[in-house]
Amino acid sequence: MIEFVPQLIISGILLGGIYALIAMSLTLVFGVLRVINFAHGDFVMMSMYLSYALYVFLGWEPYYSVVVVAAIMFLFGVISERLIIKRTISAPHVVQVFATFGLAILLQNAALLIWKGNMRSVSLPYADTVLKIGKVSVPFTSVVVVGVVFLITAALFVFLKYTYPGKAIRSTAQNRTVAMLMGVNVNRVYRFTFAIGAMLTGVAGSLLVLIYPVFPLVGLNFILPVFVIVVLGGLGSVPGALIASFIIGLAETLSGYFISPSMKQAVIFVLFIVILVIKPSGLLGKKGEEGIGT
Amino acid sequence: MGIKQVAFKIKWVHSVLLLATATLVLGTPFIDNPYYLDTLITILLWAGLAGAWNISGGYAGQLSLGHGAFFGIGAYTSTVLLLTSDLSPFVGMFAGASLAMLVAIGIGAVCFRLKGPFFVLATLAFGEVAHIAAINWRSITGGANGLQIPYDAGWLNFTFLSEKPYVYIAFLYLIIVYASNKYMEHSRLGYQLAGIREDEEAARSLGVNSWRAKLLALGISAFLTALGGTFYAQYIQIIDPDSTFSWTVSIQPALLTIVGGLGTAAGPILGSIIMIPMSQVIRVQLGGTYSGAHLAVYGVILIAIVLFLPRGLYDVVRKAPSEVWGKTVLRSKPE
Repeated sequence: MIEFVPQLIISGILLGGIYALIAMSLTLVFGVLRVINFAHGDFVMMSMYLSYALYVFLGWEPYYSVVVVAAIMFLFGVISERLIIKRTISAPHVVQVFATFGLAILLQNAALLIWKGNMRSVSLPYADTVLKIGKVSVPFTSVVVVGVVFLITAALFVFLKYTYPGKAIRSTAQNRTVAMLMGVNVNRVYRFTFAIGAMLTGVAGSLLVLIYPVFPLVGLNFILPVFVIVVLGGLGSVPGALIASFIIGLAETLSGYFISPSMKQAVIFVLFIVILVIKPSGLLGKKGEEGIGT
Repeated sequence: MGIKQVAFKIKWVHSVLLLATATLVLGTPFIDNPYYLDTLITILLWAGLAGAWNISGGYAGQLSLGHGAFFGIGAYTSTVLLLTSDLSPFVGMFAGASLAMLVAIGIGAVCFRLKGPFFVLATLAFGEVAHIAAINWRSITGGANGLQIPYDAGWLNFTFLSEKPYVYIAFLYLIIVYASNKYMEHSRLGYQLAGIREDEEAARSLGVNSWRAKLLALGISAFLTALGGTFYAQYIQIIDPDSTFSWTVSIQPALLTIVGGLGTAAGPILGSIIMIPMSQVIRVQLGGTYSGAHLAVYGVILIAIVLFLPRGLYDVVRKAPSEVWGKTVLRSKPE
C-alpha cells in the first residue's frame, strides 16, 4: 500500500494543477467584481470545444491554437461582461447568482445543440507520452498544465504588481469607491478583469482538451471542486487559490485511494462544509470578506 | 398607495387564478389525452415545489440550491417504508417530510452562518453530498439502479390506473403550498422573514430572532418539498438518485419562482404555468433533432427576467389592469 504513496502524491499535485488553472481566474474575477461566475466551468467547456473544432477543421494542434482560443475567449469575456455581468455588479445577489446561472444553462445547452452529447477528444501522439521517474509515472500533458500554472502565476504577479492596469485592478479590488475617486475607470477595470478571467479559461480549455474528453456538461465536473478551492483559499485571493488547489488535488487522490473512489467527491464537499463553518473567509482571505455582497 | 388599490389588485389576479383552477378541476374528468394530463400534473407538481422553495428562497431571501436533497429524502423515505414495512405512502410521506425537516434544520444550523453567495455554494455542496450518499448507500437506496415501486393500484397504495387521481392529489398539494405561501404574507413569521430579507441587522436590532425564523422557514420549505418528492415517486413509480437528488431538481424550483416572482404566492404558479408547457412544446417540436433547445431558451429567459424584470412576471401582471383602465380611479394618491 505504502509503495503507491509517491505516485498518489504526484497525481494529487498534477490534479491540483488542473484545478488551479481554473480556480485562479474565478477567484480573480470574484476579487474585483464581487460576482461569482457560475458559468466559469462552462467557459472552460466552451474553450475545450473551440480548441477541438480548430483541431478537427483546421488541423491546428491545441498547444499552438491556445493563442487563438485565448483571444476568442477574451472577446467573449468582453461581450458577456457588457451584456450581462455589468448589469449585475451592484444588484442584489439573487440577480448575480441567477444571471450567471442562466448563462451557464445557455452555454451548456447551446453546446448540446451544436455538438450533441457525445464525448469528443483530441489525441496526439506526443500528448499520450508518460514520463517515468523511478516507479512514478507522470503524464506529459499534466506536467505542461502545472508548468503553465506557474507561468500564469508569475505573469499575474508581475502584471498586478508593476503595471498601471494591474494596479488599477488591485485598487478596485481593495475599495472600489476610493479607486473611483482616485481616477480609476472602474467600469473598464471590471470589463478588463472579466475578459482576462475568460481568457485564462481559454488557456485552461486548450490544455484540458488533451487530458479529458469534452462534452456539454464537462464544466460541472470542474466547477464544483473549484468552488471548494476558491472558498478554501479565500475568495478573491489568487495565491490562496493556488495553495488550495494543491490541497484539494491531494485530498481527492488520497481519499480516492484510501477511502473509496466513489466517495472522493463527498470527502471534498464535507471538507468544504467544515471550512465554511470554521473559517468562512478561507486560508488567505480577509476576515469579513465572506459577508461582502450581502 | 390607497387601500382601495391594494384590494383591487389582489382581487383581480386572484379571481383569474381561482377561475383557472376551477376550470381545471371541473374539466379534468373530460380530458382523456394522457399527454395533457401528464403536462397538467407536471405543472401542478412543479408549481408546488417552486412554492415550497419560495418560502426559504423568496420570503426569507435564503437562496438554496440544495433542495434536491429534501426532494430525494421525501421520495426515498416513503418508498423504502413502503417496500420494507408495507406502510402506505400517505403515511410515509409525512415520515419523509419530517425527516427532511430535521435534515433542513441541521443544514440550516451550519449554513445560516454564511451569507450571500457563500450560502448558495454551501447549500449546493450539501445537495451534492446527499446525491453521492444516495448513490453509495446501496443497502437502503439500491444505489444508482434506484428503487421500483410495485404496481398495485389502490388508494391505500397511492397508486392509480389513470392519471386523473394524480391530478387531484397534485392539486391538493399545490393548495397546501399556496396556503403556506399566503401565510408567509400575513403572519408574524412572514413579516420577520421580510425584515431579515431586507436588512438582517436592522431586523435583529428590533428583536427578531433571525436564526430561529430562518430555520423555521427552511424547515417548512423542506417539509413541503419532501411531500412533493413522495408524490413524484408514486407517480413515476421508479426513483433513482439522478432523478431525485439531482442538481436539476434543485435548480428548477428556483428558476420557476424567479420567472414568476420571488417572494409572492402567485409567482411560482405563474412561473410553472408559463415555463413548463413552453419547454414541453419546444421539446416536442425540436427535441428529436435539436436536443437542448428548450433548456437553451430557459437560459435566455432566465437571464432576461433576472436582468430586466427582477421582480418577475407577477409584478407585470399585477400592474397591468391599473395601467389599462385604472388610471383615474386608482392613482388618486401617489405611491
